[in-house]
Amino acid sequence: MSMLDFSAIPARVETYLRELFWQRVHPLLLSFDGGWHLRDIHGDAAHYGIDSSNPTQGTQLLRDLFIGLPLDEPQDVPFVELDNGRSAHLHLIPDGDAFHVLLLDAETERDRRRVQQQLGHEEALASQAKTKAIGQLKQIRSELERQHARLEEAHALKNALIATLSHEFRTPLTSIFGYLQLIDRRAKDEPTIREALHAVRRNATYLFTLAENLLEYGRSGSAAPLLNPTPVDLTALARDLEAMFRPLAEEKGLAFQVTLKLDDATEPVFDEVRLRQILLNLLSNAVRYTRHGEVSAELIWRGQTFSADITDTGIGIAAAHRDSVFMAFNRGGHAGSKGAGLGLSIVKRVVEQMRGTLTFDSEIGRGSSFRVAVPLAKERIGTHAAVALAPRFWLQGRNVLVADDDVDIANLLQALLGDLGFRVRVVPDAQSAVLEAMAGRPDVLLIDVELSGLSGNAAVYKLRSRGYKGRIVTLSATATSEAREAALRAGADHYLTKPLNVEQFVHVIQQAASASWDGRSDEPDDA
Amino acid sequence: MSAAARKLCMLGDFGVGKTSLVSRFVRSTFSEKYLTTVGVKVDSKEIALPGRAPCKLVIWDIAGRSHLDALNMTYLRGASALLLVADGTRERSLHSALNLLMQSRSLLPDAVVVVAVNKIDLVEQWEVAPTALVELRRTLPVFETSARTGEGVEAAFAEIATRLAA
Repeated sequence: MSMLDFSAIPARVETYLRELFWQRVHPLLLSFDGGWHLRDIHGDAAHYGIDSSNPTQGTQLLRDLFIGLPLDEPQDVPFVELDNGRSAHLHLIPDGDAFHVLLLDAETERDRRRVQQQLGHEEALASQAKTKAIGQLKQIRSELERQHARLEEAHALKNALIATLSHEFRTPLTSIFGYLQLIDRRAKDEPTIREALHAVRRNATYLFTLAENLLEYGRSGSAAPLLNPTPVDLTALARDLEAMFRPLAEEKGLAFQVTLKLDDATEPVFDEVRLRQILLNLLSNAVRYTRHGEVSAELIWRGQTFSADITDTGIGIAAAHRDSVFMAFNRGGHAGSKGAGLGLSIVKRVVEQMRGTLTFDSEIGRGSSFRVAVPLAKERIGTHAAVALAPRFWLQGRNVLVADDDVDIANLLQALLGDLGFRVRVVPDAQSAVLEAMAGRPDVLLIDVELSGLSGNAAVYKLRSRGYKGRIVTLSATATSEAREAALRAGADHYLTKPLNVEQFVHVIQQAASASWDGRSDEPDDA
Repeated sequence: MSAAARKLCMLGDFGVGKTSLVSRFVRSTFSEKYLTTVGVKVDSKEIALPGRAPCKLVIWDIAGRSHLDALNMTYLRGASALLLVADGTRERSLHSALNLLMQSRSLLPDAVVVVAVNKIDLVEQWEVAPTALVELRRTLPVFETSARTGEGVEAAFAEIATRLAA
């Protein structure tokens, strides 16, 4: 195929082509001298928004377009959007000391490109949004997992509550036992009263065991239960067991005996509550499941090990139930047994916690013998120190910058912080907070998230992105984990929600102020 | 006294808000609708500088790209300044902006460069971490901007004008 020879084109076709070119391309030629003075103009100026009667104003854009470019070289600037919104290809054509600017219409081509480009960009943005949404779904999943963990924590709290309540039972029950003994001694000649007293004692003992078991059950949520070893008066322990179970055993016509051998001069140190729990459960079972014969407890302190043999002539445990007898809520252990089925499972767990051993022998119809051996606790554990709140004098003279546009809240915060010993300065907007924080370096910046104008989060971000290292506490009315994460991601150290929990507020502010005091080596890096 | 005119090019990935920043700066307007730019749109605005002659910024709003092609290079010729624009909600757009800067350096080794990380009004959705900007500020002036609210927009352009006048 040969190139088109224009000289061979018939005149009619040439005319047609010229008309086509003018219609589609709307050429506009502006001729300038070297100083951008317009010398001549040819073509459809109005098409490009240039007023032919005052073309100088319209050509200002052209001057701007060629800023920084040499006017003695051809220039080609495609797809320029002009003031009237039309798109044109611009060409600068040098001509000696002068030059021409040629405008060719690019509207149709620009529109076609725009549609394609818009689709492509929107698709890409949607794809990015999709990726982000998937990421957010993953976050939601991990949030659900966190919620699950929180539920478990709530479960643990519930158990702790049970534990606390059951613990509270012990004191009044101990008192009840004491007074029962007193009354028992004085009512020897009153069979009816004695009978009633025995019933009370029996049920109180049962209640006591139940409370102890509940206490242990409440602890079961804790992965690593804490022991509280203290010196134990084993003689008193033996006496208590005697006082508690002898009447119950004698009432059933059983022989009952508690013996204690102290063969070691070392002071016995154990978690006494747990130790009592073990013995109470084993003796309670022994008395309960023995109809004839005897129940005995032989307690020995020897070789830094406390051992107890609880023996009965009761109904015994079938071989088939040997493995399940220590499982919670198991009632098949003892034939015809009653009760919650927690006792032996708790005994086993407590013994393991105390690093001891638990074994038993049993024969149906002849009785059982449980043996517990618990080694001396290696270390005494004192009271668990609660995290102490910093005394207020620590805070004297520390600075807090409060940014809140709600005057009432700002006043409340000022009063609270003033009470804690802080020097407080209040600003009403985020922009001021940024400037004040950068200039004043307060110990703590307390900023509301929902500020009008620049948000609290944006202010925090701006501070952090300028290297601000001070402690920041944000305060928000939005109590969602998403809002909290957004605030922390922007750079806040703590996130508090409204309405204000004053205790939590004080705790967080004190924490922030202390941390601020500790971490002052890195000074902000102003931009 | 007529202001000295200097060419400023807006550079950044598509959808970061280059056109919106120019609209906010030049016309104080903002549109929520995204409309892609084809080619280039040229605007200008005069900035008064304290104690100096005013500066006229001729702003080239160039179609968004993550890399520079021959066409973009054509648009960049003669520019004295670059406003690199990134979208804080798209971390990748910040990488694109820095990539564009590196590519443009061969053509414009001495251009004044300022970075605008846009959409600060959506800070809760930002992917760009504050620490990333701490690093960036060591080498370039950085402004968090919002074409929607106007936050930081005037300051970013004023910074360019000031540096051009220096």
